[in-house]
Amino acid sequence: MFYKIVLFLCLPSVLAEQLCKPNAPDGLKVRLSIKTALDSEAYEWNRNEKFLFQATIAFAMSQYTGQEFKVSNILVCDETPRVSFWFVVTSPANLSQLMSKGVVELAVRKFRNRINNAFLLSDETLEFVGVLPTLASPVEPATPPWLIVFGVMMSLVSAGIVFVLVSTVVQNKRKRKQKGDDQDDDEETRVKTVENGCDGVYNTSFSEDEPNTRM
Amino acid sequence: MAKDARDSWGSPMEFVLACVSYAVGLGNVWRFPYLCQMHGGGGFLIPYLIMLVLEGVPLFYLELAIGQKMRLGSIGAWTAISPYLGGVGLASVVTSLYLCLYYNIINAWSFWYLFHSFQSVLPWAVCPANSNLTGPLEECEKATPTQYFFYRETLNISPSIEENGGLHMGQALCFLLAWVITYLFIVRGIKSTGKVVYFTATFPYLVMLIYLIRGMTLHGALNGVKYMFTPKMEELANPTTWINAATQIFFSLGLGFGSLIAFASYNQYHNNFERQAIIVSFINSGTSIFSAIVTFSIYGFKATVNYETCLERTRILLLNTFSLPEANITIDNIFEMIEKLNSTYPVQFAELKLEDCSLEKELSTAVEGAGLAFIVYSEAIKNMPLSQLWSVLYFFMLLLLGMGSMLGNITAIITPLRDFKVVARISDEVFNGGVCLLCLLLGLGFTTTSGNYWFTMFNDYGATFSLLFVVLIEVIAVSYIYGIRRFEKDIEDMLGHRPNWYWKIMWAGVSPLLLICLFVFYVVNYIQGGTPTYQAWNKDLGKSEQTEYPVFGQAFIGLLLVSSVSCIPLTALYVFCQRKKHAQQHKQQLTVNTVAA
Repeated sequence: MFYKIVLFLCLPSVLAEQLCKPNAPDGLKVRLSIKTALDSEAYEWNRNEKFLFQATIAFAMSQYTGQEFKVSNILVCDETPRVSFWFVVTSPANLSQLMSKGVVELAVRKFRNRINNAFLLSDETLEFVGVLPTLASPVEPATPPWLIVFGVMMSLVSAGIVFVLVSTVVQNKRKRKQKGDDQDDDEETRVKTVENGCDGVYNTSFSEDEPNTRM
Repeated sequence: MAKDARDSWGSPMEFVLACVSYAVGLGNVWRFPYLCQMHGGGGFLIPYLIMLVLEGVPLFYLELAIGQKMRLGSIGAWTAISPYLGGVGLASVVTSLYLCLYYNIINAWSFWYLFHSFQSVLPWAVCPANSNLTGPLEECEKATPTQYFFYRETLNISPSIEENGGLHMGQALCFLLAWVITYLFIVRGIKSTGKVVYFTATFPYLVMLIYLIRGMTLHGALNGVKYMFTPKMEELANPTTWINAATQIFFSLGLGFGSLIAFASYNQYHNNFERQAIIVSFINSGTSIFSAIVTFSIYGFKATVNYETCLERTRILLLNTFSLPEANITIDNIFEMIEKLNSTYPVQFAELKLEDCSLEKELSTAVEGAGLAFIVYSEAIKNMPLSQLWSVLYFFMLLLLGMGSMLGNITAIITPLRDFKVVARISDEVFNGGVCLLCLLLGLGFTTTSGNYWFTMFNDYGATFSLLFVVLIEVIAVSYIYGIRRFEKDIEDMLGHRPNWYWKIMWAGVSPLLLICLFVFYVVNYIQGGTPTYQAWNKDLGKSEQTEYPVFGQAFIGLLLVSSVSCIPLTALYVFCQRKKHAQQHKQQLTVNTVAA
């Protein structure tokens, strides 16, 4: 009787050991690089951290499948000083049946961000070996920022060109008006000389006639 | 009333700055450091400085003298030297036209990178995610993010020169902007150019100084500088070193394009260009050396970062394979641990394929050209703290260098053409606008998906061969056809003293000989090189592969080479025929007169 009780009590742990082993078909390997990620603020990997890991996986599985998973459904084994281990997830309905690897993967992928943040790690430093990372969807702003800077620059340069061209046109107009004024002044003095010349001698050196003889 | 006096520089300083702005260009930044690295580091300075003195300064002096004396652009100036040599000026104009077409595309790329630097994360720092968000894009993963950004996002390059997509709109917009700014800088001829060069000539030096200080304080920079300056004297025995030094001086100073003649033609008649020629040539070479120091400190930083990343990857691999705690292997003891693990677990170790991390190897990857400026430098910049600031500064400097050279290039086309009476009647603004518009429309071809391959073709074949020929004819024409004595007297007229014996020996003897050697070398190299090839980007492999030009490509190369060089004999022939016709007509008239009389 006594032996039967002992056997009955030992069965779950024995079963557990058999369910979770390295390279189990439904198991996933996890690798943490805490020191690389956190350097001086790195924490030690201990039993409590393992408990947190089991809790986060249970959370992910519960959210994803809708079934209620407990910490005891997550079995961890083959821990190494690297801080890597294997884990399997047992079904809440039947403790000797494992959840398929595909389901576990999808649950992990969906809540990867939450799992990473619980450990202050990232996709690279909290590796689920074989599980593809889920990258954040790219943020596409309405107008690409480069177009805005381009627009600013183009408007400035175009304004510059317009300014230069307009100032050239204005300058030319002013020059032409000045030349026109000078010609008017010349004509006035010519008229005056002619009027005054009636009294005096007409001095041909001041006339603006074309040279009469063409050599 | 006298004809409109020729435009002139506001002050001699404007002329000097214009020459500096023109000569100091992208080649100083992306070609000289590469040559230094390839030809034995510090030792390369010896052939470089020797060639500067033997070839660079005398030829620079020659071109300035011609421009200042004749007070005409290259076509007019060479026609004045000898009517049969007008073709030399025409060849310069054609070469400058080719250069103008493709040079502004580099400015367009600089604008593109500059505008993309105004983002919280530089777009070339990380690969974009693929469509199901499981990882980076395949092409980007095989190459590096910086290469991906250049080849895919900037150029959207096609797999070969034969395949063409449409225009890349972003590129086309930046190209348009580059031409609009060029027009703004030259709209009133040298009156506007003279003001602009105060900025384009001086600001790049400020940026380079800032970069020097930043570069030297980067982690691992000294590795690069040490590597560069360790002279490998055995390289001096290699004739390629001397040829590359001569070629670099030649192209760096921008001889033969007609820009120097154009700039000098706006000088006052008695301007002391002798001193200015020496100053500008030495400033140009000094800038090359200065930028080489900056480039090598950046190289050293990039190589060190890559080396340490490689070591980190090896460390992680070892930790994962042997399941050791993280603290056991660090960067410091990684090599000892490799030895220990190799001896403890020889079988497992042999199965590992460890990367060969070598700082030497990282440093010795030499890159030149657009690859250096846009890929290597942007890779280094993304690792610096405050990378957006450094990126903006760097691409702004590239823009100024490029724009400064463009000013000279476009002036080399406009000035000779304006010497023709037909053109002189059109106003400055309209004519300059017309030239810019024409170059813009023709150059749009470089913004297509295969545009980079055409760009490389123009860059490699458009100017190099023809310039050597043009300058060779120039120096022989001045020394032997025009005559050294006459040239001496002209200089005495302008400067007040004759050029001393050193210049005369260079012009009449040393420089022509050097140029003939370079010319022969180029021809031999071209023939020996077989079919010309180019680097085509293979997006499946994520790297460039050497591909032969198709037949139409080779035909076009031939056309490029022939079109500029043939101007010289064709013009001579044309003038000869014209003279014969006139001589015949004149003879006929005399006979008629004698008969009539």
